[in-house]
Amino acid sequence: MNVAISTGGKIVMSKKVAIVCNGVETKNLYPTFILASSAVASGDEVVLFFTPGAAPVLRKGELEKITAKGMPDMKELVEGVQSLGGRILLCELALEAKDMKKEELRDGVEVVGATSFMSDIHDAQITFSF
Amino acid sequence: MATHTLDTLGLKCPQPILKVAATAKELQPGDKLEVIADCHSFPEDIEAWCSRTGKTLIVCAEESDGKYKAQIQF
Repeated sequence: MNVAISTGGKIVMSKKVAIVCNGVETKNLYPTFILASSAVASGDEVVLFFTPGAAPVLRKGELEKITAKGMPDMKELVEGVQSLGGRILLCELALEAKDMKKEELRDGVEVVGATSFMSDIHDAQITFSF
Repeated sequence: MATHTLDTLGLKCPQPILKVAATAKELQPGDKLEVIADCHSFPEDIEAWCSRTGKTLIVCAEESDGKYKAQIQF
């Protein structure tokens, strides 16, 4: 749902942003978290959906290992997204497909099915897939 | 009506804006936030952020050698 934030008499409409991440490489992860953190910092509602191809990076401690020349600190981007209310969803098929257990996942990751994700983002105005 | 200062020197896009957003949660209407940054896209980014969030950008000026100082009215 869109939220009208009243700030000093001005009404600002936030958007809903859905980003699908499909892989564990920097070309998948940096765009996902840079755009997500920019959106969430501007007051947008942000939902990230990780497909099985991207799932391994949601094991505890894995995103913190991601670095690339000239790029911002991944740990800070992820913390920024989560602390400002961005949600990280993992496709439930990934658990079996990638031999993962819920206990291995980083804090705050929600395991969901495709139908609930699609229902969740049916009113998203901005979508990306990386 | 306090003035707060945020140093984001060395941080790359979009981290300065993330820090601004995190700091914004602590501020009250009427407060002023002064941000120091050396990220190349900072002047445009802070203008966009203020516009999106309904804050007033009083000034954003280059101080010296690629360092910017912005003042935001909450």
